[in-house]
Amino acid sequence: MTRAFLALAELRARLFWRRLRGQGRFAEGIALGVLFLVTIPIGLALAGLIGAGSWRLTRQAPGRQLEIALAAMFFGLWQAWTAVSLALSEREGIDLKRFLVYPLPAGRVWLFGIGSSLAGDPVGLLWALLLGGILGGAAVGRPGLWLLGLGLDLLLFAAATVLLVALLHEVLALLSRRRWVREILLGLAVAGGVGLGLYVVGSPRGGGALRHLLPWLRILEWVGWPAALATRAARGLYGGQPAAALPWMAALALGGAATGWMAFRLALGAALSGGSGGETGAARPGDGWKIGPWRGRFSALVEKEGKYLVRHPLVRVSSLVVPALGTLVAWKLSPRIPEEAGEVVRALPLIGFGLYTHMSMQVFWLNAFGWDRGGARGLFLAPLDLSEVLLAKNLALQAVSTAVYAATAALMLAVGGGVPAWALAAAAALHLGMAPACYALGNLVSVMNPRAAPFTVQRNAGFSWLSGLAGMAIVSGLSGLFAVPVLLALRLESPWLVPAAWALLGSVGLWAYRRTLPAVGRLLASRRDAFLPAVCGDDV
Amino acid sequence: MLAIETRGLTRLFDGKAAVADLGLRVPRGAFYGFLGPNGAGKSTTIKMLTGLLAPSAGEARVLGHDLFRDPLAVKAAVGVVPDGLALFERLSGAEQLRIHGQLYGLPRPVAARRGEELLEALELTQDGGKLVQDYSHGMKKKLALGCALIHGPRLLFLDEPFEGIDALAVAGIRAMLQGLVSGGAMTIFLTSHVLEVVERLVTHVGIIHQGRLVLQGTLDEVRASGTLEETFIRAVGEERNGAHRLSWLGGAA
Repeated sequence: MTRAFLALAELRARLFWRRLRGQGRFAEGIALGVLFLVTIPIGLALAGLIGAGSWRLTRQAPGRQLEIALAAMFFGLWQAWTAVSLALSEREGIDLKRFLVYPLPAGRVWLFGIGSSLAGDPVGLLWALLLGGILGGAAVGRPGLWLLGLGLDLLLFAAATVLLVALLHEVLALLSRRRWVREILLGLAVAGGVGLGLYVVGSPRGGGALRHLLPWLRILEWVGWPAALATRAARGLYGGQPAAALPWMAALALGGAATGWMAFRLALGAALSGGSGGETGAARPGDGWKIGPWRGRFSALVEKEGKYLVRHPLVRVSSLVVPALGTLVAWKLSPRIPEEAGEVVRALPLIGFGLYTHMSMQVFWLNAFGWDRGGARGLFLAPLDLSEVLLAKNLALQAVSTAVYAATAALMLAVGGGVPAWALAAAAALHLGMAPACYALGNLVSVMNPRAAPFTVQRNAGFSWLSGLAGMAIVSGLSGLFAVPVLLALRLESPWLVPAAWALLGSVGLWAYRRTLPAVGRLLASRRDAFLPAVCGDDV
Repeated sequence: MLAIETRGLTRLFDGKAAVADLGLRVPRGAFYGFLGPNGAGKSTTIKMLTGLLAPSAGEARVLGHDLFRDPLAVKAAVGVVPDGLALFERLSGAEQLRIHGQLYGLPRPVAARRGEELLEALELTQDGGKLVQDYSHGMKKKLALGCALIHGPRLLFLDEPFEGIDALAVAGIRAMLQGLVSGGAMTIFLTSHVLEVVERLVTHVGIIHQGRLVLQGTLDEVRASGTLEETFIRAVGEERNGAHRLSWLGGAA
């Protein structure tokens, strides 16, 4: 048995190594190296900071301040892993379905896959450094046996978080396979939305009414947030009452085990189902989207792209997570920004989510053809101008991204209350204005570094490390450019400068997009020899 | 009149010729079987003729159009079932057919109506609402054939259409293909390993070996001195060795 798992480990290592060799892989290796080089100093710095915090907590008397500090620390750890692991994980992860044929216990193979997906991942390294920082700071502050308890608490927290993300992945995969599950959830979501709407309309508090409802939702933290249990355990440990921590740690272990068991059963069920991909409605050939003014080929392209996006689990995650995160920020963070910070700073959370929505969707603009796989051949076989294909992809993504941001902004306004008109204009100008530049550069990355992507968010990445690095550079560069008007507006105390300047930047971006699109289409046509095997998965 | 004519068509991979100096002559209305052992260059040829792969050298005219000067005109007039298929797995079968038709310039109602007819002809009506990803291999092959036909092409490229599908499906597809060429309006260019099926279908044969066309002509010309299988084995010049014995299998313990 051990020999078989050693062979699995070797297989994974070989796949990882193969990814860094051969034609075009050198840049990929460099990108991974750069990501590690960036991660290590950042991780060490953050570990130092969080370690200093942990050291201070060992001297803190039990009470509200200790609770808040611990909650913040575990929230940071939790979101550092969860937010990133939903979008980026290892390509060479273990696919359970492929290993069912071997005489190996499926549970161990699955656990091995989960564990090995952490190795070789810069985010995994960052996480390990942060956990080490907490333990190190605590050890310096108050050496003793209690550190074993803290180490165990952190370990259980890490395992529970990883397993919760795995469960989330499996649930999303189930959603994409089973239409009736989707419909029940959609029904519940609609009923919930209508209920919330009625509550807001009927409440004398009006737009800010949701803020008073949200504390009731805290009950959910015991179900869906391992950090809640880990925080309670850590409170006992830092407070010098290890016995008080034990029930919370036991609950964390049990919760983690239950989560892992459910995730594994779903993964096994999916693997044994033969990889059933999903059902749509009983679509008849005549059904189809009537898309605005477009006719013919272009309308069909936009429809196809729209359907692909709407059916993608990552879009479903984003359409749930981004508005939820926006609501949380509007509820917890926005009210804490002091009045004297000025209206520009106070509007930044709402505006910032315009950028965050683009980031949450970047896998689609950095690897625009990844999910077409074999279908990409159809795009080259048909009598199409490939720049139209790119335009259709970008338009469909823009529509989805705008819908997600509009929902997020609406919830943020409902929870946090109204904002000045200039801030609404700025939010729209940033989100719409950044898109052409993001997509123009993303198209180039999609053409130059394509990658076949699976129709899931788990196990395999939607894009390569190199594309990920390019995405970081694009988003950072554009953020820097779009930040200039904010600084000017703060200096000149003229908030309307922000939307005006962003609209101008957006127009320039749109002009550049339109000018470069035909050239990128021609580049795509000229690169088809290398492009198609990469996108269709022939060289995976 | 020729449906396909190539001169000196060559494709190099890392300096090595996958297809070398190919001179195909496929008459209009022909059912052309393009044969060759594994790795001979059949799929590479089809990819070049359908615009999926750029040639390293040579010329090609397809239905009278210069393939490299006017690729869109060629694409609009041909249908292709490529190796590995070209299906969007996250569309339903019905959506795939309709959208594919629209991509070839058909108006939506026409594409939808033809899609419906194709689903019926290919016995896929019951599965029209299922995602392509959930189709069996044979169903995908049939759907890919439907996609290749929906815009009414004058030339059909089929890369291994019978690979991996059962005898019933083979019989159905074969009958459909025979019906298509019987009127003389369509030319079919087909690659296959199954010589018996090819022999029953085609009117013309080309044999490629190690990237070079070694034989080309009508079926009767090609098998003048024996069956198609015998001619094929002679043309590729390979003697089949007896099966290797594996030391750990079948022997006395």
